[in-house]
Amino acid sequence: MSGRLPPAGRWLLHRAVGAVLVLWGAASLTFLVLHLVPGDPVTTLLGASATDSAALREEIRHEYHLDDPLAVQYVSFLGRLVTGDLGSSYQQQQPVSLIIGEQVGDTAELALSALALLVVAALVTATATAGRRRRVRGAVSGAELMAVSTPAFWLGIVLLTVFSFRLNVFPVAGAGDWRSLVLPAVTLAVPFGSLLAQVLREGMEAALHQPFALTARSRGLGGTALRLRHALRHAAVPAVTLSGWLAGGLLGGTVLVETVFARPGLGRVALDAISGRDIPVVVGLVLLSATVYLVVNAIADLVCLWADPRLRSPV
Amino acid sequence: MPTRPAAAVAATTTALLLSLTACGGGESQGAGKGGDPVRGGTFTYAAAVGTSCLDPHTSPGDIAAVVQRNVFDSLVQLDAKGRLHPWLATSWKVSADARSYTFQLRDDVTFHDGTPFDAAAVKANLEHIKAPATKSLYASALLGPYSGSEVLGEHSIRITFSEPNIPFLQAASTPYLGIASPTSLKKFKDQLCAGGKYSVGTGPYRSERYVKNDRAEFTRNKDYTWSPRGAAHQGPPLVDKLVIRFLPEDSVRAGALTSGQVDAAAVPVTSAKAVRRNTSLRLTKQQSPGASYSLYLNTDRGPLRDERVRRAFQQSVDVDALIRSIYQGEYERAWSPLSPTTPAAYDESIKGAVRHDPAAAATLLDQAGWTGRDAKGYRTKSGERLALHWPFIGALVRDQRDVLAEAVQAELKKNGIDLVRDPVETGAYFERYGKGDYDVWDNAWVRADPAILAGFYLSTNLPSAGGQNVSHTDDRQVDSWLRAGAAEEAPATRETSYAKVERWAVDHGTVLPLYVPVTSIGTTAAARGLTFDANAWPQFAGVWKNTK
Repeated sequence: MSGRLPPAGRWLLHRAVGAVLVLWGAASLTFLVLHLVPGDPVTTLLGASATDSAALREEIRHEYHLDDPLAVQYVSFLGRLVTGDLGSSYQQQQPVSLIIGEQVGDTAELALSALALLVVAALVTATATAGRRRRVRGAVSGAELMAVSTPAFWLGIVLLTVFSFRLNVFPVAGAGDWRSLVLPAVTLAVPFGSLLAQVLREGMEAALHQPFALTARSRGLGGTALRLRHALRHAAVPAVTLSGWLAGGLLGGTVLVETVFARPGLGRVALDAISGRDIPVVVGLVLLSATVYLVVNAIADLVCLWADPRLRSPV
Repeated sequence: MPTRPAAAVAATTTALLLSLTACGGGESQGAGKGGDPVRGGTFTYAAAVGTSCLDPHTSPGDIAAVVQRNVFDSLVQLDAKGRLHPWLATSWKVSADARSYTFQLRDDVTFHDGTPFDAAAVKANLEHIKAPATKSLYASALLGPYSGSEVLGEHSIRITFSEPNIPFLQAASTPYLGIASPTSLKKFKDQLCAGGKYSVGTGPYRSERYVKNDRAEFTRNKDYTWSPRGAAHQGPPLVDKLVIRFLPEDSVRAGALTSGQVDAAAVPVTSAKAVRRNTSLRLTKQQSPGASYSLYLNTDRGPLRDERVRRAFQQSVDVDALIRSIYQGEYERAWSPLSPTTPAAYDESIKGAVRHDPAAAATLLDQAGWTGRDAKGYRTKSGERLALHWPFIGALVRDQRDVLAEAVQAELKKNGIDLVRDPVETGAYFERYGKGDYDVWDNAWVRADPAILAGFYLSTNLPSAGGQNVSHTDDRQVDSWLRAGAAEEAPATRETSYAKVERWAVDHGTVLPLYVPVTSIGTTAAARGLTFDANAWPQFAGVWKNTK
């Protein structure tokens, strides 16, 4: 016991320090950028509708400590963050934690169901088409390419027109029951799922050409079993590496999808906060998405370690 | 000094306004009549925009007013014809100097939380609006030069102002000065913006739930017996539940309406024709009072300091043709910075004040010394191009105003004027607004009173001071007309004062009025009882559905 941590402990410590640095960097950068771009938050907040604005301006400036020097603001901002206080929204005059807390559920529901949908769809299409005849493979891959480049906005409107306005199968929008979740989740899942399917298929095809595939076949393993038991595991590493990006894409995608389907959620909160220079809300959202990134990447690393034992050997 | 009873004022106003508004309106009789009203059910309306704050005492948004009208009643009511009616106040007297108002209040009204409505509640509301901590972005400006209120009895109150304030009654009729339960103002001090159960008024509906960007839900106030006398529907609402959905996408809103998922929806001008063609839907339109959609020219900077250049700007644009071709008859061309449906204000003779006359405009530009031409064909003076800057926020452009802007640009180009549109983000937009760093600024503003002109033309209301005098007009005569307008009680005299301002504004090239904004609402065949108020905002107190 010479104060040295076991490897798992070291790994965790390493991760934790990295996470703190990332969060600190993200918060600082957001804070700085929002303070440095032209325009004054108080002016933006007041807009063009208030008379008697000198007194009001003073009041707002003082209440949000915008009259302090930037360095002082920054230090007290960090101080509050450390104690877990995200501050209060300028526009909504409510605590940021409350605003995020109220809407995070709707976004998580949308992003997670889209994620489940896209992973299942990608697994099925990739397994079914990897190494198949050229024509089948070409057609599917072409369809995927089209899906990747389809604007979510347009797709959402088309789905709504067909399934909500014409067939009346799903409600136009909102949140609450599963029926209102279907169309937004599909809209969000299609482009990302197509991309994931392509990556998975390529990984599987590469694996199928490796010598072990021949060995396995010579033992009498069927095509599907080979794909599922061996090729998939090989393909998992590049696909999982994508997941960090995927998490970001899904969160970003909710902005559009939430707008088209008029769903409550963080995407639209972010849009309003950014255009309104609502600094506390923007910082809160940046911290939240940075946390999501960190968690997703940590899980992705663990999954990779499980999928590919070669990565486990210490260098 | 004797005081004049309110009834007399209302009567004069009425007589005058009837004659004025008869020509404005349009298809304004609300959505369908017919059939015996059906009790029960849910009525759903789809609005185009949401809001970050639902406290009408703080938020300036039209939507905050439309949503919260259901919850908050006002002291007085202004009907679609511009007539004042008693509401929470049974009567009122205006002092001869228009600096003090004495209201007698109803004694049978209770807030949704059980708090009785009385003079102290009114005082608490006005004081709440004026308190800096409320951060009122509009209500405080509407309340004007408020100096205090005195509770004269349990149901009697005197409100005083430091200057004459004739526009006060109209202001008092808006949801922005709606009366909230004083208990809620104290108890939910920090949550008023959040709406939902924090919004407690005396209105026909109780506010139940507000999910930002999604919906606001209301239930029927079965005890509601104090409908304003001028309202089409009296007594408690017919439906059990009212839902206002926020659907920002035009096509989605239109689809929700055609498929019957909502009973009524705000219809963008681009879908008005489609709604009208659809036999199962109905389209109702009402012109908004207040400031029409206009381009204001900054008289305090660059080439537009010269009135000849401003006049040339006005005459270069064929407004008639542009509005007709872009809006296909849905919008009427505006002649004045004031909308024709603004009560006690609009002067018909202003029609034709700005003529499309490119030849005359060219002569004016020559006289102003803009005689050179550069390689691109724009006029120059001492080697400098006649370029004008117009900042805008791309994300907020609606109503095909971008198409209109391009058309105006093309018209000006023919006369060698380079109108440059600067896309900027919100922060920079309002910074330029405050500093006067622009040549052209576009604006429209709903208010059912000509006092809106004071916001745009009083010399002390510069953007840097929080006002909307975007043309930087600084004219003693204009100021005196505007002050007189705020001090004159007789509508006829008011009209004369404001008409002078309208005429002056157009003649001196401070503004190019473009079109009169319109509220259009599509309703399904079953929807009944939707009406418009004086602001052309939809009213839900009497809605029901003909389910037969």
